[in-house]
Amino acid sequence: MTRPGYAQLQDVILDAEFPELDLALRRGRHIDREDVAWYALLGDAQDHLEAFYRRYGCELIHKTDGYFYLLPTGDKLSRRQLAPGDMVVGQALALLYLHPSTVERAGLHTHEELIAQLAAVMGSDALIRAFNPKRRRYDERVAQKAVRSRVGEAVRRLAGLGFVELVDDEQMRLRPALMRFAEPVRGLSEPAEALAQLVARGEIALEDDTVAHADGDGEDDGGDGGADDDELGAGAGADDGESGAGAGADDGEPEAAVEAGTGAGGAGAAGAERGERAAQVAPHRGAGADDDDDDDGDDP
Amino acid sequence: MLAVIAERKLALELSTLDICFVVALHVRGEAAGLTSFTETQLEEVFAQASAVAQPEADQLRRRATLAIQRLRDQRMLARVDGQGVVRAGELALTRLAAGIVQFYLEEDVLTRETLGLLTASLRVAITGVREAAQRAVEPAAWQDGVAGPLRVTITELVAGIERRQRGLDLQQEDFQAEIRRLLEADWFGAIERCQGLLESTSATLRELNEVLLRDTAVLLGLLQDIEELAIAAAEPDAEAAAHRLMDQVDRIAAWGSARQRAWSEYFQYVHRYLRDVVRLDPTRALMQRLRDQLAGAGRRFALAYAGAPPIRILRTVTALPDRPPVVRPRAPRENQPEPDAGEDPQVALDGKVQRALDGGATALSAVTGEVTTELPAMERFVEAGRVAQTVARLARAASAIERPWVPVGDDLLIEDWTLRPGPPRAPDAKNENAEPPGPRGASGDAGGGAGDASGSGSASGDGGAGDASGSGSASGDGRANDAGGDRKHASAGDVG
Repeated sequence: MTRPGYAQLQDVILDAEFPELDLALRRGRHIDREDVAWYALLGDAQDHLEAFYRRYGCELIHKTDGYFYLLPTGDKLSRRQLAPGDMVVGQALALLYLHPSTVERAGLHTHEELIAQLAAVMGSDALIRAFNPKRRRYDERVAQKAVRSRVGEAVRRLAGLGFVELVDDEQMRLRPALMRFAEPVRGLSEPAEALAQLVARGEIALEDDTVAHADGDGEDDGGDGGADDDELGAGAGADDGESGAGAGADDGEPEAAVEAGTGAGGAGAAGAERGERAAQVAPHRGAGADDDDDDDGDDP
Repeated sequence: MLAVIAERKLALELSTLDICFVVALHVRGEAAGLTSFTETQLEEVFAQASAVAQPEADQLRRRATLAIQRLRDQRMLARVDGQGVVRAGELALTRLAAGIVQFYLEEDVLTRETLGLLTASLRVAITGVREAAQRAVEPAAWQDGVAGPLRVTITELVAGIERRQRGLDLQQEDFQAEIRRLLEADWFGAIERCQGLLESTSATLRELNEVLLRDTAVLLGLLQDIEELAIAAAEPDAEAAAHRLMDQVDRIAAWGSARQRAWSEYFQYVHRYLRDVVRLDPTRALMQRLRDQLAGAGRRFALAYAGAPPIRILRTVTALPDRPPVVRPRAPRENQPEPDAGEDPQVALDGKVQRALDGGATALSAVTGEVTTELPAMERFVEAGRVAQTVARLARAASAIERPWVPVGDDLLIEDWTLRPGPPRAPDAKNENAEPPGPRGASGDAGGGAGDASGSGSASGDGGAGDASGSGSASGDGRANDAGGDRKHASAGDVG
């Protein structure tokens, strides 16, 4: 429904808020009531903008939970899918969003609570496996540290998409768009049936379809070099050298170090180098590689 | 214990006025440092409490007497002077009264009633102060009637409001936890009760905000009058007290509006939660399904979203300037050394020493004193060693085995030599460097610089840590031997 104020599409485009809103939508941002001006603009100009974006092969989706987002249905606008790690974190956040404790603090939660929720629902081992799927053996402490780090990265990516708002280093505010993670189990129909409908509408993709993308999501490919059997962090270049047996320990970048550390023992320098290179390349390759770096520099 | 209480028929019966009276006594006692009250003071405090709690009531003295008696009967006031009927007694609050006061002061929560009561008290008190300010002429009157009450009594009342504000904040935190507990205990059934709690608290906050907005305007007007009177009378104490109080009242008003705003956001959040989450999932099935999904049930999936890359803006093209061709440098890279016409310091020193010798100096101390007299203290110390080395070269020196320490100026001691007229002894044929005379020759690195004469017989004047080396050296090496006071010893003859 188009309310007074935007008689034509031209009026919408001439709105001072439109350029930023348009860019945000095209980059996958979910807009809810907290984005007061943008949400009002979308609500007032919904008819015009639905037609506008349809010409780009996109659907402007408005959910009753109170948020908008842009869903590419054609090939004119790039389409991405969340990485498996981001999906795990997103579902845990959705679970927190539904929990009564959210009411007490008006949607504020800490990273620790998020990880505790993940561990409680999935179990510690499954959680570590989920974030280190290619490792058979791992050093518990290093692996836990890697999980915390990757959960933090996932939260930052989800914040860039409007699922949460980072309040400070520790706290985040949960936003209604998190209910997207609960869509398959939300209706009265069977989850499999609901999942099929969502796939048909293009809102989600099943894991089999995303494997090709997920390989490059920057989570699992750092310098493995086929050394899956190695203990996580057992190679040289291990994180802080705490578990690393070889030389070339990398004190700088824990994530790269953990991934690099899976290389064969003694090949630390090379492993670390491969890991760094992979970490640099990954954001541009995979699904879920929508890192915030994209926002830098080139924006008009 | 219970039997004793029942047997003694202990009871407490306190009206609002009684509680106000006890609280006012406590505040007065704290402010004025009183441990007990005379009957006159009790009546004054009662009058203040009555003006707040029962402003319309008359027969003040009679009611004060009755109130005091009630408090005494209930062991809240106790006589402490022990004078009996001899004179009017002094009474103090008991532990029971103190406990009640503490409870109400610290645990009380701001409500419309308490806020109204406190702001009314403030208004009465500030009005009284304004009247006192209008009457005051002498500085003492300003101090006693305006600055003092503003600083003590009224500040206490404002602090009372702030204390209750904190109580209300705590109550709201409890209230938010209560909503959570209600939802956890009875998910869908708790909606009505949650909404009821929200409405009641919203109404309370709204009322408080209205009272604050209305009353703070009046209070600030009164305080503004007092401040202007104080400025006109050039009473900085009273002016500062009024100004400080205005700040506090402003803070109270700001608290009210901030709480109202924060609560409004919370109110909306909870209503949205009740509508979007609780009502749409009455059996909490969604949460369980989502938990199962996260635990690994069903097929894994990924959300899709738009991922347009950022628009690339190409850098503005600018023509690069042509680099200059590489050529051989025409000018020579290094300049030829040029002679420096500067004066050789050793030559200058030789001249000074020679002039001193020619002037008839017969001791090293005399030469040193003459040559170094115009130098700063630190340079004299270093220069003494160089002088010794130069003297050894230019004159014939002689010395006893035990050379005497002789002061040169106020801050220098040197081991003295006797200088004989005539040219210095010719160098030893075996050692060209061996200096002639002296006690037993002199070698020296004067100041670590020019003129070193090593080997046997050296006068070392290196001014630093120079050790005279070689056999029999008379050195003025400038080692600082602390021989009392600030005076430095330039040892002119460390025999190595």
